[in-house]
Amino acid sequence: MAEPIETPIDEAMVIAWVDGELGPEDAARAERAIAADPTLRELAETHRAMRARFADAFGGIADEPVALPSAEIVSFTDARAKRARQLWVPGAIAASLAVGLFVGQVERPAGVADRADALALAPDLAHRLDTQLSGEPGPVRVALSFRAQDGAYCRSFTATHLDGVACRTANGWSLRYAAPGSAPGGDYVQAGSDPARADAIAAMIAGEPLDAAGERAARERGWR
Amino acid sequence: MDAFEAALVRILPRLRRFAHALTRDAADADDLTQRAAERALKARSQWQPGTNFDAWAYRIMRNLWIDTARSRQRRDKVIAPAEEAETIGAPGDAEATAERLFLMRAMDRLPDEQREAVALVMIEGLSYAEAAEVLEVPAGTLTSRLVRGRQALAKMLGGTE
Repeated sequence: MAEPIETPIDEAMVIAWVDGELGPEDAARAERAIAADPTLRELAETHRAMRARFADAFGGIADEPVALPSAEIVSFTDARAKRARQLWVPGAIAASLAVGLFVGQVERPAGVADRADALALAPDLAHRLDTQLSGEPGPVRVALSFRAQDGAYCRSFTATHLDGVACRTANGWSLRYAAPGSAPGGDYVQAGSDPARADAIAAMIAGEPLDAAGERAARERGWR
Repeated sequence: MDAFEAALVRILPRLRRFAHALTRDAADADDLTQRAAERALKARSQWQPGTNFDAWAYRIMRNLWIDTARSRQRRDKVIAPAEEAETIGAPGDAEATAERLFLMRAMDRLPDEQREAVALVMIEGLSYAEAAEVLEVPAGTLTSRLVRGRQALAKMLGGTE
């Protein structure tokens, strides 16, 4: 008596069989065909071994725990996305910034809000960035000025409670990088000596920092 | 930590493994994992309870990578690609690391659509239905990409085991 004629199986079906993706009838049919044909057996073994090889090679990665990004970082990322592509406030600094900026303002709700002007500098600080040249002494010191890749003028500064990099936007000076202040009366830490700030500037800057003449010219134009 | 965050924490190691297959670079994989986690937290209101959380999370990472790869292609036109990092962040002996690098180089040569199908099924162990859900393609499209990717890899890796 002749054996029942079965449709031949193709490589896609062999792979699906290896993956356990066939229904019971198709799986049985594939198994019979594979058992009966050395070429199909070899093909099935190739795909089975390859799947196992990839699973083994990458498997260890999934055993390592990964921490969730902290809420602070996420909220700053939100603010960043809404503002400028280069805004860069390292998460570790976020907490100290939120506290530092609002000390003494307990009558207002504290914290940095998720608003377009949330990182705008206060008028006194902004005024110094408008007028002061790099290297001039004072409670605020500007270390350097530069054009960012988006065309904005930016200045790196050091004050008593806040160090940072701010860029001139249509709405005034907006903080792009911040760290706790490092300019106490005596031991003055030179602005720009914060490696993280240097990294932030390097990521933002287009070309070279402004020289003294370039800085004066930019000041004449109101940093626009 | 609420249920959503707990589910995210549970799948993050697997997302990071998927990131290795997508980026084929350990540092890029860690970066992509963090950004995918941030995006998932931000988009949590878009997840419908009762639907497949894992597929949703994989989809977020995959779409994020498509955006990243697209902007990177533009960047690489002006900046020469950095020297390929020959280090893998994951622990393990040198042999395992070399094996993974070797397989990543093979995956480099697959078209994107075949690579992601292969990674989701062979490495992540997703069913065809789940992988099709992640990639938002019909089942038939998924299987044909998967089969072509596997055939190409088998040819590349023939006799290298």
